[in-house]
Amino acid sequence: MLSAQERAHVAQVWDLIAGHEAAFGAELLLRLFTVYPSTKTYFKHLGVCPDEAQLLTHGQRVLEAVGVAVQHTDHLRAALSPLADLHAQVLRVDPANFPQLIQCFHVMLASHLQGEFTVQMQAAWDKFLTEVAVVLTEKYR
Amino acid sequence: MDAGQVEKAQSLELLTGTDSLCPSVLFSPLRLLVVYPWTQRFFQSFGDLSSADAIMGNSKVKAHGKKVLNSFSDGLKNIDDLKGAFAKLSELHCDKLHVDPENFRLLGNVLVCVLAHHFGHEFNPQVQAAFQKVVAGVASALAHRYH
Repeated sequence: MLSAQERAHVAQVWDLIAGHEAAFGAELLLRLFTVYPSTKTYFKHLGVCPDEAQLLTHGQRVLEAVGVAVQHTDHLRAALSPLADLHAQVLRVDPANFPQLIQCFHVMLASHLQGEFTVQMQAAWDKFLTEVAVVLTEKYR
Repeated sequence: MDAGQVEKAQSLELLTGTDSLCPSVLFSPLRLLVVYPWTQRFFQSFGDLSSADAIMGNSKVKAHGKKVLNSFSDGLKNIDDLKGAFAKLSELHCDKLHVDPENFRLLGNVLVCVLAHHFGHEFNPQVQAAFQKVVAGVASALAHRYH
């Protein structure tokens, strides 16, 4: 459960991303695949070396879903239910991969925003994304 | 480790070492306590940890953090034998300090974030990958003697 302060920090972070979902999404995926190559096993359809267009397309999809989550921090389960079904029935991404994606997200935000990405914002963003990951994987069994 | 990673290890050694401490790196242990508050369990006697501001301004935590980073940096001088370099520290963390090795991975991740803050756009995916491998190597070395 996010406190009011944490929700405000999450909204602050999202304000810095909104409008640039494709670019941030592409970079997020590129960092994920570069730093944690085993994660590419979930993206066979993108090929061994996904090109920029593929990363932008898929990256946008991922970040838009994050945007939906940001708008519905009070009822994540309801808002993300279709995505949770998709992950449980089709994608079946091992839950251990989500902390890796989250780490790449923090690093990306830190490198782009530097001082603007404060420690309080990072703490709230980590808590929020971890909650999203829990919701996305809780229908697995 | 490949040549690129050795280079990164040497950079990391420089960044965390006593003589050329990059000021923002000093904040890594402090940031750990804010972003992952359960890590505060090891620092009950360190005074006020009640808020992010209290933690970031806590001189005891800062001093301890400096000690941790100096050990980190010293260990990195032996990049080809991290397990050997951190053997005694590994035993200490297991037998006396009782620290879950997951904490080493968390600190490593926070250190990488701080470096990203510091280097900005230069901290591209390849650079991140190299530094993540170095911190993972240290975390693994620190966990190696656990029993």
